[in-house]
Amino acid sequence: MSLPFKEVKRGAIQGLAACHTCEKVAPVQLGKCPRCGSHLHLRKTDSITRTLALVTAATLMYIPANILPIMGFRELGVLTESTIISGLIQFWEMGSYPIAIVIFTASILIPFLKIGALLWLCAAAKGKVPHSAKVLGKVYWITELLGRWSMVDIFVVAILVTMVQLGNYMTVTPLPGALAFAGVVILTMFAAMSFDPKLLWDQLEREEAIKAETEKTSDSE
Amino acid sequence: MSESEPTASKPELKAAQRWNIVWVVPILAIFIGGWMLWKNVSSKGSEVQIRFETADGITAGKTEVKCRSVTVGKVTKVELSEDLQSVEIMCTMDDGTDHLLRKGTRFWVVRPRVSAADVSGLGTLLTGVYIELDPGTGEMGPTRWKGLETPPATSRSVPGLRMTLVTEEAGSLSIGSPIYYRGFEVGRIESRKLDPERRRITYSAFIGEEYQVLVRNNTKFWNTSGIDVAAGVDGFKLRTPSFQAMVSGGISFALLEGDKPGPQALDGAVFDLHEDADAAASSTFEPTFELLLLFDQSVRGLRVSAPVEYRGIVIGRVKNISFDYATDRESHRIPVLVEVDPSVLRASGDVIPKEDEIRILADAINKGLRATIKTGSYLTGAMFVDFDYYPETETEELTYNGEYPVLPTMVSGLAQIEMKLASIMEKIDALPLDDAVTKIASAADEATTTMAESKKALAQIEGAAAAARETMENPEFKALPADVRSSLAALDKSVISMGPEGNIQGDLLRTLDELRNAIRSMESMTDTIKEKPNSLLFGKEDSGNPRPKAAPRR
Repeated sequence: MSLPFKEVKRGAIQGLAACHTCEKVAPVQLGKCPRCGSHLHLRKTDSITRTLALVTAATLMYIPANILPIMGFRELGVLTESTIISGLIQFWEMGSYPIAIVIFTASILIPFLKIGALLWLCAAAKGKVPHSAKVLGKVYWITELLGRWSMVDIFVVAILVTMVQLGNYMTVTPLPGALAFAGVVILTMFAAMSFDPKLLWDQLEREEAIKAETEKTSDSE
Repeated sequence: MSESEPTASKPELKAAQRWNIVWVVPILAIFIGGWMLWKNVSSKGSEVQIRFETADGITAGKTEVKCRSVTVGKVTKVELSEDLQSVEIMCTMDDGTDHLLRKGTRFWVVRPRVSAADVSGLGTLLTGVYIELDPGTGEMGPTRWKGLETPPATSRSVPGLRMTLVTEEAGSLSIGSPIYYRGFEVGRIESRKLDPERRRITYSAFIGEEYQVLVRNNTKFWNTSGIDVAAGVDGFKLRTPSFQAMVSGGISFALLEGDKPGPQALDGAVFDLHEDADAAASSTFEPTFELLLLFDQSVRGLRVSAPVEYRGIVIGRVKNISFDYATDRESHRIPVLVEVDPSVLRASGDVIPKEDEIRILADAINKGLRATIKTGSYLTGAMFVDFDYYPETETEELTYNGEYPVLPTMVSGLAQIEMKLASIMEKIDALPLDDAVTKIASAADEATTTMAESKKALAQIEGAAAAARETMENPEFKALPADVRSSLAALDKSVISMGPEGNIQGDLLRTLDELRNAIRSMESMTDTIKEKPNSLLFGKEDSGNPRPKAAPRR
């Protein structure tokens, strides 16, 4: 489990940093990447703070995204507004369970999970929650994976708005909810980007080092 | 909260523990999200509750509330009222539409409506119904309303004249029926109501603002519904309004000829709606005088409102025909109550006191003023009452029957002719016609034979005449006079010759002598034959006497 950490010396300890742009490993003292010239950091600056801030913002935007209608469907002059939940219920009542499940997963579950996962990772990086490297790896991977699918709703709205423009007969218009929802998605994406998973492993190593020291002291005693 | 470095801790990095700019993002998110929510909530105006009989076509969340096609709200809930007699519709009004909810605001459901007068709300066939709001003008009103079941014809916000028309017969007028001025549509009927107490129909009518000035206090309104065939004393009258009015009814109005336009009518004015144009025209007639006429003849064809004329001038009309007015039931005369306006006959048209009128009437009756029933139209049999002077009648005095002055009547017209014919027939009846008829019959027979004979004679005469004509036409006959003349001349000559100095005389004398001799010998011969008849055959025994020789005969 902690084998690679013990056998291979970590880059940070050796004063080496991977360029964020071109992934070239170079000594951090250079300040700039010798290949592409971008700044070299051992870790992303203020990673957890930024992640937390963006996640908080995403959470805040998640409220109007679910309360406000995301789409207006005007058929022959009669406007029908639908929020995410009302659309979901409508599909469920119509018997279109697969569509209802897809909407539920993409629009409610995934953003919710993503926010939750990011918060957990931040907490883990700070050592606030007990964790193992394997579990954290899975969580981080899921976060990255989910991020790509959380825009499904916005895509649906965008496609409908552009396609269903039949003048007086039928028109689909985006409503403020869509904007808020897009905000949630974008903010969670940025939050996931600004999180530096290396911090997790730093934290793990530190904890192990502390453990080893206590063991050593107890041994010496 | 800087990230911990795995290498040696750098205390100076701790100083970088400052307020991170990235926290602006969640603050912005709070503002944006909050603003969006606030805007969404604040864009909803007040809640109103409207009560309708039925929620036909109204869907919660879809049906909109509109004011002049501008969406001002939306139905949020449809539920049955507690007594199950109506539905309560909850609507959320849009922001800034509170000023529409005033006292007098009306709500109704716009549905497709097709009537003869107009077609409306067809758009709702596809879009579904909506609730129309017609803002009132009163103070800011309550939040509960009673919706109209039938839409008003015109919105209250449309400026114009709103008035009431009262009539006794609804006819074919319905909501939305047009109101015409000289055939031009200027308004509509908005609603109608039957007043059960007064048993009259009340219409509320609307006249557009630009035509408001046409309605005066003395304007007359009448019904132009359908085809109007009036059979009056003037014969038939056929009136057809516009096709629309013919189908859905309509109202016309105008000032009567000769009327001066009165002050302009105000909102809420009440007008009588007359049955037709004639009724409207005669509605201005203000009778001042009622007279009772007792007719001793059939009043068939004389109807209530039939005209009363004085030598062709309409001075009144028949008010009623009823035995109720007769105080003397035994006479069987038919009381006809007429109302007249004698002022029509005066050039000034002034109304004079009733006593004077009575005096004039009494005087007129003395001079022979009588009422008669005359036929106005032989085609329709409509009758009218005619006043005229009949100086040859017996003088009568003004009498009273109950409260009404009685004008003496005369049987006239066809009835008069009938009566005269009847009297003639009676006289004829009284004659000894049977005897006369038999006598006349025999005389006639004789006459017939005589006639036949005379006919025969005539034929003969005719034949004779023809023969005579023939003869006369003969050329020989024509030559006759000349012959006669020559004959006469010859005769003359003969006569002369026969005269004493004529030669004929001598001859004649001689002839006569010879004739005498002959006769003598004849005598002797007959004597001989008498004595001896056979001498005819054997001859006579010669007497021996010499036989005298007869003189030579010529």
